[in-house]
Formats: sequence, structure tokens, C-alpha cells
Amino acid sequence: MLSVHNLDVRYGQFRAVQGVSIEITQGDIVSLIGANGAGKSTFLKAIAGALPIYSGRVSFKDQDITDTSSSTRVQQGLSLVPEGRRLFSEMTVEENLLLGKTVQRQGDWDIERIFTTFPNLVKRRHSKTGSLSGGEQQATAIGRALMANPELLILDEVSLGLSPLVVDQVYASIESLRDAGTTILLVEQDLERAITFSQRAICMLEGRIVLDKLTADTHRDEITQAYFGLNKATQQEAS
Amino acid sequence: MINSLVQAILLGGYYALVACGLAFMFQVMRIINLAHGSLAILSAYLVWEITDALALSPFISVLMVLPIMAVVGLLLQRVILERATKGGELLPVLTTFGLAIVIDNLLFQQFGANTRSLAPYLGDLSWDSYEIFGLWVGKLPVIVLLTAIVVIGGLDLVLRFTPLGRQIRATAFDPETAGLVGIDSRKIAGISAAIAMMTVAISGTALGLRGTFDAYAGGPQLLFAFEATIIGGAGSLWGVFMGGIILAIAQSVGALIHPQGFLLGGHLVFLMFLFARIYLNSNVFSLKHWLIKRRHKGDSL
Repeated sequence: MLSVHNLDVRYGQFRAVQGVSIEITQGDIVSLIGANGAGKSTFLKAIAGALPIYSGRVSFKDQDITDTSSSTRVQQGLSLVPEGRRLFSEMTVEENLLLGKTVQRQGDWDIERIFTTFPNLVKRRHSKTGSLSGGEQQATAIGRALMANPELLILDEVSLGLSPLVVDQVYASIESLRDAGTTILLVEQDLERAITFSQRAICMLEGRIVLDKLTADTHRDEITQAYFGLNKATQQEAS
Repeated sequence: MINSLVQAILLGGYYALVACGLAFMFQVMRIINLAHGSLAILSAYLVWEITDALALSPFISVLMVLPIMAVVGLLLQRVILERATKGGELLPVLTTFGLAIVIDNLLFQQFGANTRSLAPYLGDLSWDSYEIFGLWVGKLPVIVLLTAIVVIGGLDLVLRFTPLGRQIRATAFDPETAGLVGIDSRKIAGISAAIAMMTVAISGTALGLRGTFDAYAGGPQLLFAFEATIIGGAGSLWGVFMGGIILAIAQSVGALIHPQGFLLGGHLVFLMFLFARIYLNSNVFSLKHWLIKRRHKGDSL
């Protein structure tokens, strides 16, 4: 479904993402793991079209999307929930959700279903999103992406800054998406959660992929070693 | 005194009309369009040409100029502004400054130094007036003021309540995230520029109806629009409307004090607001701030 080949993303001279290749097939649930500055968010933003790609190819549903704009990619069914939620804080929850409908893709998601999925938003419907709690903001951000009826949903650090209880709620709602067959690529700092939630784990270190395995075939220690770059053998194999 | 206040408010309506396009473009696209005044004069000439050639009422001609200026706005965005904004904040200012000079001189070459006016095509309307409580109020300035209210009110409603308005606000607030949500920011910028140029067409016509214009009349219009925008604060269109009226009142008060004081009064108030905006908390300018303050005072008493 999503195919990334030898992707390079640069900030000036700095190579934030170096020669990354991944394949994601329909229905996959993939966790992207890595320390701060490993290039995860840069990688996801480049896939979503928010950052220019220096070299390499990205294709989605067998169509090359390397040079298309982010709005075109949303139109094709690829949505990103950006890190830090990035809501339009001077607009209400409802307005933010309606903006997600801009591309008008056909599908099951509409504004009422969002409010059923995230019941904590109902009484906040007409509040400005700047005044919401972290959990409510995250729910709005996910809801906004769902309004476009994406086939591939990319979630960047959904649990950042949320209390453990709220994280559970957010994951419960993502789980219902997983069960509905949406392909999901997400960044998660909590290893335990990443391993239990997803079928596959990809670990990034200094802009490269150092581990890409099914969660069933790997274990916590191996991921931890890859995370800190302790396992030289794995690193050389991947690069 | 009351008479000059009323006349000032009517003049303020014209300033608000010129300023709203400039403010809209700044709000939505973060571009200060220094060709704003010259484009208004260009549309005034267009209206004049059509009115003269087809023997129409200027009110009909302006309807024909609206789509022309919308296309001009779209081209302006695609051909000039889109490239200029890639070069940083200063480049659009320089580019539009250059564009203003080009437009001014092309108009001068085409139409010469004669001043023109749309007033002769209006017949009686150009000097008709209402008598209200012993004051004579010109019909035409009232029409211009009402037009300003309709244009600004209409833009405000579009921005607040339509999907297009929501997309424009989202793009203005955070273009990158707007793209991630699926908003085509390029399309939105084009539409915004087209809308801004349509208001420019209306303001150019208003100028031609109220008085005279020549090829180099763009500069002062830009100046008034800019001053009204700064006084009112670029954040809201109704603020700009108030800005236009405050500017006109300041000019009229200046003129009462000294025959040469018209422009000076406006400039002084503009500078006062400019420095106040730089050095004071922005809350000072919002109505809510003062209402809450009063309530707090009431509580403590």
C-alpha cells in the first residue's frame, strides 16, 4: 500500500532521514520507534507531503506521490495526525472536524460518528480548541484526520503529554479503527504499548532504520538495543 | 462640528472600503500589497472606459469590472506573489512596490495627465443629498458607506460561516497543517487574491464616483488604506472599518484646527496608534478587555 524507497530528507546540510526504505501492506499496524532526533517525525512528515523529499521515491496505492502536495495525498487517502496535534486553536471543535472533510472522500466517517467515537468531545463541540484539555485536543486531531476517511492513518506521538488514563482512552479508540481495517502507522515512545498494539515494529536511529521485524519475532531487549544503537550487527545489516 | 463629524464618518466609509482588501490580503496571505492603490486606480480607469464606451451607468460597469479584477488577482497570485513569497518576507513588499510603479506609468502612458471622474455619468446623484436634522448628507457618500458595510459584513460572514471561509482561516493560521488536513493552499491563495482584487475594484469605483483620479492617484489611496489598517489592527475586518472612520475623523479634526491640517491629523493619529500597538499590550484595543475591566472594578467596589 505504502512503499518508500531509499528516502532522503535534509534540513540544509543535515541529513535527517538517510536512505530509508519500507513497505506497508493494507491492514498493517506498524509502530515506529526511536529516540528523540532519530528522524521519525521528519520521515512521517515527508511521507505526508509536509516536507520536501531530497531523494528517493514514495508511492501510495501503486501511484508515485513523491512530488505531490500534502492535500493531494489526503485526497488519495493518506492522512497524518501531526505531532503536537496542531489544531486550529482559534476555531471550535466542530470547525476543526469540518475542515477534515475538505477533500470529501467517500466513507463511513462523518461528524456524528466522530462524536460517538470520542464521547468526551460532545459537550465541547462549540468550544475553541485552544481551551481544551490535552486528551480532548488529541481526540479532535484524530477525529479531524478521520473525517477525510483515510485508508492509511499516520499518528505521530499521540500519547505525548497525556495522562496514562487518557492514553488508554485514545488507544481504545484507535483500536476500533484497527478492527475496522484501517492501515495504521504510528510513533509510540512506550515500548510495551508499541509491542502489544502493533504487528510490526520499525526502529529508527540517527535517520536510518536499524530494526524492522514483526512484533511476534522480536522482544523488548532486541528493540532496546536497536533503540540505543548497542547492537552493531543489526545496524550494519540494515545500512 | 457635528456636520464635519458626519462627513468624516462618510469619508471613513470610503477609507474602510479601500483598506479592507489590503487587510484581507495581509490577514490571509501575509502579504502587504503595495500595488493596492495602483490596482484601485487601474479598476477606476477600467470602469471609466467601459462606462464611456458603452454608455452604461458606472454601477453596471463595475459589475463587469469585478470578474476582470478577480482574474487579475488570480494572475497576480500565480505569476508574481507565489514566487515572491518563496524569497522571504521582504520580497513581496519590493515586488509589489515595483508593480505599483509599472502600473502607474502604464496608466500615465495610456491615459495621460488629465484627471478623470465617474461623477459626470451619474447625473443628479453626484450632488443629490438628504437633509437630516438640518444637516446635508450627500447620497453618494452614504451609498459608499453602506457599500463598505455590506462588503466588510459579507466578507466577515463568508470567513465565519462557509467552508471556503473556514479553509481560508485555516490556511492563514497554519498553512502546513492546512495542507495536511487536505486544503489546497495554492487554490485558497488564488481565491483570496481574487476576492481582494474584487474589493479593490469596488473601492476604485467609489473613488471615481466621489471625486477625481489620475494615473498617479494610487499612492495616496494606498497610504490611507495602510493607515486605516494599522489604526484598526489587521486582525479583524470590522477593526479595519473602525480604523477607516477614526482616520477620517482625525483628518477632519486636523482640518478644523488648521486649513493644512487634514493629512497631518491623519498621520499623527496613525503614528499614535502605531506606537501604541508596538508598546502596549494588544488587549488594550479589544472591547472585551474594557468590559471585563469595568466588571472587575464593579466587583471590588
